[in-house]
Amino acid sequence: MLARRENGGIHGRSGGTGRRTRLKIARGNPSCGFDSHLRQCDYFRTAFVAAAEDALARGYNFDKSSGFAESTNALNHDQDDYRLDGGFWRAVIVMGILSALGMWGVVVFPIERFLPEAAEPAADIDWLFRFMAFFSVPILVYVNGFLLYFAIRYRKRVSDSSDATGSPIHDHRALEAWWTAIPAVLMLVLGLLSYNVLPKYYGAQAATVTMEAIGHKWDFEFRYPGLKQSVFNDLYLPINVPVTMDITSTEANEADAVIHSFWVPEFRVKQDMVPGLVVPIHFTPDRLGTYRIICTEFCGVGHSDMWGKVHVVSQSDFDTWYAKQRTQAASGGPPIQLAHGDASAGQALFQQKCSVCHNAAPFDQKKVGPGLANLFDDPKHPNLVDGKKADSADVATILEHGYTGDMGTMPNMQANGISPADIANLIAYLQSLHK
Amino acid sequence: MAVADISHAPTGHIHPPPETFVQKYVFSFDHKVIAVQYFITTGLFFVLAGLLAELMRAQLAGPNNHVLSVTTYNQAYTVHGSAMVWLVIIPVLTGAFGNLVMPLQIGARDVAFPWLNMFSFWLLPPAGLFLFGSFLLGAPEAGWTEYPPISLQEPAGTSMWCVAIFLIGVSSTITGINFLVTIIKMRAPGMTWTRMPLFVWATAVTAFLSFIATANLSAALAALFIERVFNVPFYDPSRGGSPVVWQHVFWFYSHPAVYIMILPAFGIVSEIIPTFARRPIFGYKAIAYSSTAIGLMSFMVWAHHMFTSGLAQWVQLPFMALTMLIAVPTGIKVFSWVATLWAGKIRLASPLLFVLGFLSTFTFGGITGIFLASVPVDIHEHATYFVVAHLHYVLFGGSIFGIFAGLYFWWPKMTGRMLDEGLAKLHFWLMFVSFNATFLPMHWIGLLGMPRRVATYDPIYGDTNLFISISAFVLGASFIVFAYNALKSAKNGEVSGPNPWGARTLEWMIPSPPPYYNFDRIPIVLHGPYAYGEPLPYRDVAPEYLDATPLH
Repeated sequence: MLARRENGGIHGRSGGTGRRTRLKIARGNPSCGFDSHLRQCDYFRTAFVAAAEDALARGYNFDKSSGFAESTNALNHDQDDYRLDGGFWRAVIVMGILSALGMWGVVVFPIERFLPEAAEPAADIDWLFRFMAFFSVPILVYVNGFLLYFAIRYRKRVSDSSDATGSPIHDHRALEAWWTAIPAVLMLVLGLLSYNVLPKYYGAQAATVTMEAIGHKWDFEFRYPGLKQSVFNDLYLPINVPVTMDITSTEANEADAVIHSFWVPEFRVKQDMVPGLVVPIHFTPDRLGTYRIICTEFCGVGHSDMWGKVHVVSQSDFDTWYAKQRTQAASGGPPIQLAHGDASAGQALFQQKCSVCHNAAPFDQKKVGPGLANLFDDPKHPNLVDGKKADSADVATILEHGYTGDMGTMPNMQANGISPADIANLIAYLQSLHK
Repeated sequence: MAVADISHAPTGHIHPPPETFVQKYVFSFDHKVIAVQYFITTGLFFVLAGLLAELMRAQLAGPNNHVLSVTTYNQAYTVHGSAMVWLVIIPVLTGAFGNLVMPLQIGARDVAFPWLNMFSFWLLPPAGLFLFGSFLLGAPEAGWTEYPPISLQEPAGTSMWCVAIFLIGVSSTITGINFLVTIIKMRAPGMTWTRMPLFVWATAVTAFLSFIATANLSAALAALFIERVFNVPFYDPSRGGSPVVWQHVFWFYSHPAVYIMILPAFGIVSEIIPTFARRPIFGYKAIAYSSTAIGLMSFMVWAHHMFTSGLAQWVQLPFMALTMLIAVPTGIKVFSWVATLWAGKIRLASPLLFVLGFLSTFTFGGITGIFLASVPVDIHEHATYFVVAHLHYVLFGGSIFGIFAGLYFWWPKMTGRMLDEGLAKLHFWLMFVSFNATFLPMHWIGLLGMPRRVATYDPIYGDTNLFISISAFVLGASFIVFAYNALKSAKNGEVSGPNPWGARTLEWMIPSPPPYYNFDRIPIVLHGPYAYGEPLPYRDVAPEYLDATPLH
């Protein structure tokens, strides 16, 4: 045995064959694993049995289990110290009162005042949230309360000897059964309640409006039945009409598509817009107003600014809006009055929108798109529209219709959320850059 | 008795310690040296990743700040998250604490495979170089989860990220196997499974998780790397791939990884509470077996990270139910720890303070976890600052508080010197208050509608964010107190002696710092370690070390 150990190798058994393998370790490594080897050898067996006998003689209840079987000596605790006395129950009552106050607070908390419930599943979700918060309060109060109370009440006093120990009690079956069973039941109830709400998002419903929401870098596109053109970032929905929204994401070049997410906090509705996946969700807006649409999946440099608005309007307002959209599609919208551009308004707009992708710097200084400082006289700037040097009308065309080509992709004016007046202002600003 | 004439036998085998500097301190096989290497390396990464967080908070202090460009901000939070998870919390809890404490606690002279242990550590520095070096080639921007397809469209730094995390994955897998074998095969005689210290239980379950789960991450990363570099479409939906596949495989690793990051902290807490309450841990078996239950269940809940990804409703149901059920074993632990404090003789020393902070913040983080488990509520909360807050309550309030509790606890064992108790308490209160001030308000703004991973935001959240940023700077500063304390202790700290806290596990039955070969004789274990008030249950421990009277 010892001779084999001197080799400094690892000895192991392989499978059931009983064949021994030996791995040499360089440099006489000290930790060659002989401990595990020793465990198998007779030497330790003997030592172990002897030690067990020794332990028995010293008063340990020594068996294979670890339980803290009480030894016959060394127990000189005063059991009276460990009764649940008046102080303990007073602490329990104080914590009970604090919990009750907290739970009352959860029940009456006006969620609506901070975040309106503006669509059908919102109230159900807030109810679930309240339910969880209601039961969280006593758990938090009692855990933190007992921590504080025990830390103060049972702290070691100056009068205690330096080797004083606390209660030897280390198990309490009934208590442990309770604190296993109660959370388990709570979780079961919560699971069932949550399960009940789910079909409101995903279950098949007779929707009066079925539409599509498509994520782009960095705009939300909405397609209504019967409308030829899409609506960008401004979603109009009639109140109290169930909506089914088919949600996905794509780009002109499919390989550029990324995951976005469609979130309306006031609706408590969120669905990732995953390229290649169309997911229908259901909700019914039931409160008039304008709310935020927010992208919550990181989608690139424009992610922070990717948001839109949802306008919940009355049925008649919706019909008016819808009719206007139809006629606008036919007429092509109002003309752009370039002469009325205001450079300072354009500058503000540039900072707010264009600067996500463009620097107000020479053409080479690219961000997502090229730098635009010398747009009208930089020889490096390609002639994008009609083969001539860029002029105001060309820039207006690109701003209005967007651009797709070897320099990348730029969304159109609807996608960028800019008006004809905005275009005029932007051009005035860009012209002012190279005086 | 036969005991006397054989007890000298194991001492005959001790090899001489290595003599050259390189063998001793660089490519050392000694688990204690490797543990210190882990501590120093992960400490450095912690500072770097923490500074990135402070930069992010500087950017977010106002709604439209330009402290960082949008791209730099995105890179900062991605590298911050990746570094904190993979370069700090996982290696410090397994590599550093596991290496430092576990072999000592089971009465072994080293781990089963010391060369692999060394190799495992030396994967960490190159991983750090790749991750932080990715800034040179355009660091990844899509967050530590790096969902495709956007991670396919990023510059070359994302490939470096893949390599860095892959290396960590290999290191983590090897350490897992190494620790599992060590714990199964190398416990001192008499240390049955139910006599193991609870930190060893936690390390065993963690090692199992690292060993089983990490391979999935490696596979997902390899596919991402191959798709990015060799253009093989695994995830790109425009060419027949599926971005959701990444999410499944990534979370099949990363949910168990959540427990890799918290179970060792549970183990640390389970050691510290009985030591400072001077009484047996309440519900030893309940704590040990609930760790195991958590470990097994952690493999069956991954899709709760994907409730808004478009899973079918019937798929969401079992994931919701199992996620909620994990709260039960976790609750058992918390309640058992609180019950251990009952009727103790409590010494409110710094390790216990950090543990009390842990219990308070982790319980909060656990409860918000239940909020996130309920599918309808998660649909509202997912990918908002509520999730950012929840994550930091479990990973900072849980893991980092646990790590500092363990550092203050085992510092004397590691260095042989005490830390200054006053500075330790100052560190605790600064950290505890500023931590809550930083992350508690995030729940609120998240619920109100602030999405995560944004460089600019709606000005209505401006005041709250300014408050959060100021708190975050204080939180960062609190670690300076620790650094100063560590330097002070190294220079003229009080000599600790073998067992300053009066703990009863085996690592305290030898000198501090432990000698090269840990145990002169392998001790024989007669009983579990937590029977305070009883004689110490060890044989073959030198009598001068057989003492558990606390000095501090």
